[in-house]
Order: sequence, then C-alpha cells, then structure tokens
Amino acid sequence: MDYLTEFFQNIGDTLSYMASLSVGMLDGVKYTVGLFFITILFSIPLGLCLTLLRNSKITALRGVTGFYVWIMRGTPLLLQLFFFYFGLPNLPFVGDYLILGRFQAACLTFVLNYAAYFCEIFRGGILSVDAGQYEAAQVLGFGKWQTNLKIVFPQMLKVCLPSISNECITLVKDTALITAISVTEILYFAKAAVNRDTNATAYVVAAVFYLVMTYGLTKLFNWLERRFHF
Amino acid sequence: MHMIEVTNLKKSFGSDVILEGVSFSVEKGQTVSVIGPSGAGKSTMLRCLIDLESANDGTILIEGQPLLQNGTYPHERQRRAICAKMGMVFQNFNLFPHLSVKRNLMIAPLNSKTLSPQQASEKADALLKKVGLDGKQNAMPSELSGGQKQRVAIARALMMNPDVLLFDEPTSALDPQLTGEVLAVIKELAQEHMTMIVVTHEMGFAREVSDKILFMGDKRILEEGTPDEIFHHPHDPRITEFVSKIL
Ligand SMILES: Nc1ncnc2c1ncn2[C@@H]1O[C@H](COP(=O)(O)OP(=O)(O)OP(=O)(O)O)[C@@H](O)[C@H]1O
Ligand SMILES: [Mg+2]
Repeated sequence: MDYLTEFFQNIGDTLSYMASLSVGMLDGVKYTVGLFFITILFSIPLGLCLTLLRNSKITALRGVTGFYVWIMRGTPLLLQLFFFYFGLPNLPFVGDYLILGRFQAACLTFVLNYAAYFCEIFRGGILSVDAGQYEAAQVLGFGKWQTNLKIVFPQMLKVCLPSISNECITLVKDTALITAISVTEILYFAKAAVNRDTNATAYVVAAVFYLVMTYGLTKLFNWLERRFHF
Repeated sequence: MHMIEVTNLKKSFGSDVILEGVSFSVEKGQTVSVIGPSGAGKSTMLRCLIDLESANDGTILIEGQPLLQNGTYPHERQRRAICAKMGMVFQNFNLFPHLSVKRNLMIAPLNSKTLSPQQASEKADALLKKVGLDGKQNAMPSELSGGQKQRVAIARALMMNPDVLLFDEPTSALDPQLTGEVLAVIKELAQEHMTMIVVTHEMGFAREVSDKILFMGDKRILEEGTPDEIFHHPHDPRITEFVSKIL
C-alpha cells in the first residue's frame, strides 16, 4: 500500500516537475518559432532570387552567387553565427555600425545561410522543367516573368517540395544552435534547468517540444505534396 | 500579299549548316505539308518561322511584316507582335502539367488580356467541344491519352485566334491507333481554311489534305508542288526514292 502511494506520488511529482519545466520553456518557444518563421519567410524568396542570378546569362553574376553558395554551405552554421554576432562588431572602421542584438544576429545568419541551401534546391527544380514548357509559353505570347511565375515556378515547386520539407525540419533543429549566443530559446532553458536541478528531465521535455514541431511540419508537407500532385 | 513568305533563309548551329537558302510562300487558307528525310531541317525551318530559333540570314515575312529582313531582326517587341499571329503545336504536346485542361486553354488569352475570364471560359468550352473533348475541362493533362493531349494542345493554340498554325510532327509521339483522331481535327481545320504548315511523316494525310507539299532534303527545299506532282511526278530522283520507301 505504502509503495503504491509512493509510486503514484513519484509519478505525480515527475509530471508536475515536467509541467513546470514546460511553462518555462514555452517562453523560449517564441524565439524558436520566431526564428523559424523569419528564416522561412525571407530565405525562400532570397533563395529564389539567388537561383535566378545563378542561372543568369551574365558570367559574373553566376560566379558571385556560386561563390556565395559555396561559402554559406561550406562553413558551419555555428561559425557563421559567431561571426555575425561576435565578429562583425570587431571589424575595423565599420564594426561600430554592425553591432546586432542576439536574436537579430541569429535571424540574419539563418536567413543568409538557408537562402544558399534554397538556392541550390530551386536550381535543381528549375533544371527539371522541360525546355518544351518554355517554348510552349513563348509561342503563346507569355513574357519572361509570366513564364517564370505561371509555368516554371509551380512545376519547380512540385519537384522541390520534398527537399524543402527536409530543410524545414533541419531548420527547426538548427534553431537550437542560437543557444550558443545566449538567445533564451527552448534548449537554453533546458540546459539551465538541468544545471540547476542536476536532473536530465529537462532535455527530455525539450526533445518533446522539437518532436511536436517537426511532426507538425511533416504532416503539413505530406498534405502539400498531395495537393501539389499533378 | 502572301500569308508567309520566306526568302533565302539560312541557319547554322555553330559550323553545322542546317538550312542553306530556303524559299517558299504560303497563301491564306492553304494547308502546306513539309516532308522529307530525318535531319533535313524541317523542324529547324518551322522553328525559325515562329522565332524559336534565330536564323542567320534571309527574309521572313508574316502577313507582309518582316520577322526577319535580310538577316536582321526587328526589336524584341515587334518580333513578339509578329509571332503572336501564329500558333504552334509540338510533337510532345508541351501541355502545362500543373494546370487543368481548361486552365491550359485559358491561361494564354488571360495573360495577354485578349479575352475576359468570362469570354475565355466560353471559348475554351467551345473549342474543347470542337476537338471532341467536351467534359474533360477539369482533367489534368496526366490523365489524358496522347491523342487527347494533342487535341488539347490544338485547342490551346486556337484560343489565341492565330492566323497561321504550325505543326511539328503532331502525331509522331502517338500510338498508331491515336493518330487518326488528331489528324481528323487538323483536316477539319483545313476544311475551314485555317492557314497551316504541317511537318509530317504521315504521307497519306499529306496527300489527302495538302494544297501544297514542300519536300525538304539536303538543307533546302528540293521540290514543291501539289500532292499529285510530288507523289506521282517528282523531278528529283531523291523524292522518288523517299516516296517509294515510305508509301
Ligand atoms: N539545337 C541544335 N543544336 C545543334 N544542332 C541541331 C539543333 N537542332 C537541330 N540540330 C541539327 O539540325 C539538323 C536538322 O534537324 P531538324 O530537327 O530540323 O531535322 P528534321 O528535318 O526536323 O528531322 P526529323 O524528321 O528527324 O524531325 C540535324 O542534323 C540536327 O542534328
Ligand atoms: Mg523534326
């Protein structure tokens, strides 16, 4: 009898401990989700622009964007984060004007980094559109932009959706990196709680937060892929 | 005035000469078939007419207006305006796979604002009926047979009210039992005196519907004439050989 009460007591304690941790972490969710949406919102259009430049007729533009993509994909995101947050203010002359808040630096880094990945994803998608589509559009009197917007991009998007979905899920997990510049997102709270209570439960709770978000995204993209089936 | 007048058209890809001075004309309401061996430059010639390829020299007049004049092209805007009078049907249909059949038809006139949405919708329905695809409005291209796709492509080209329709082997990608339904649509257009240039390997069709046949070979037009002249009394022995092989 005593054991049973104690058992339930323990479970109850653990649950209420987890609940109290969750409340703390919920405060961090705004940074995680905020960074996620800001990154998606800006890096996708930016990536699309980069793709267009990367396919440009002008060799110099192709070269510059190729170089940009190489740098952004070829160095660790964490390094870029440190560079934008700690490094920029130390630049000679201009450094004083480049002091960014922690979250600002995080957003800037993520947008620039993810744009490079999206650029490459979209480039592959555009290459997959048949040359006959451009010809059909031309003989039907489409302008260049109409062709891109109404014919090429929708077909590109279909091809790219699985890769975009992958990127979005990676992004959710990458947001945890900004704990390294002390943005108070989910992992930041978890780490603090673990240190404070010398109990790893907080990591489990944080993991659940990430799992919920990635699960939701997976479902969303499954639905999108079904809608974009033609 | 000729509907189309081509003089001394020359085209090379790099150092490969493909067209070495092609000249011919097409009158309003005529159906002109272009036949000849593979690699003769039939597609290239047709693509030059609608500006999908840039020629190196020659003159192309469309309803009297120069798309190309002695090897020089006018401004982009005029090039587009002249080509807007023509439609083209491709061997591989090139329907827009992400749009329904009806959207495929409506998108061009809506883009160019030549028709209101209401007019475009009515016209699309009427043309689908004409090509025998009434009821397929909401189908996606992937749900259609090859013959149906090509009929949609023809209807789509007709939405822009072209003065001339160009066909590049419209039935070559089709199973033999599906070519008939597409050729029937083209025949009907011929009876309505649509001006058409049809590159084809369907000799029976060419003989039956053409007002004029151009025989291409050796980078130029070897001979032009009525079906009877080309099929029964050709001057060039290469035509006799080609015709005897294919018939
Ligand atoms: N974009 C291109 N670049 C280089 N060469 C080309 C190109 N398009 C066509 N050619 C060459 O031009 C020649 C004529 O090709 P074209 O497609 O016009 O022939 P065709 O008469 O239509 O033949 P087919 O009956 O097989 O369709 C061929 O030798 C082909 O290899
Ligand atoms: Mg050809």
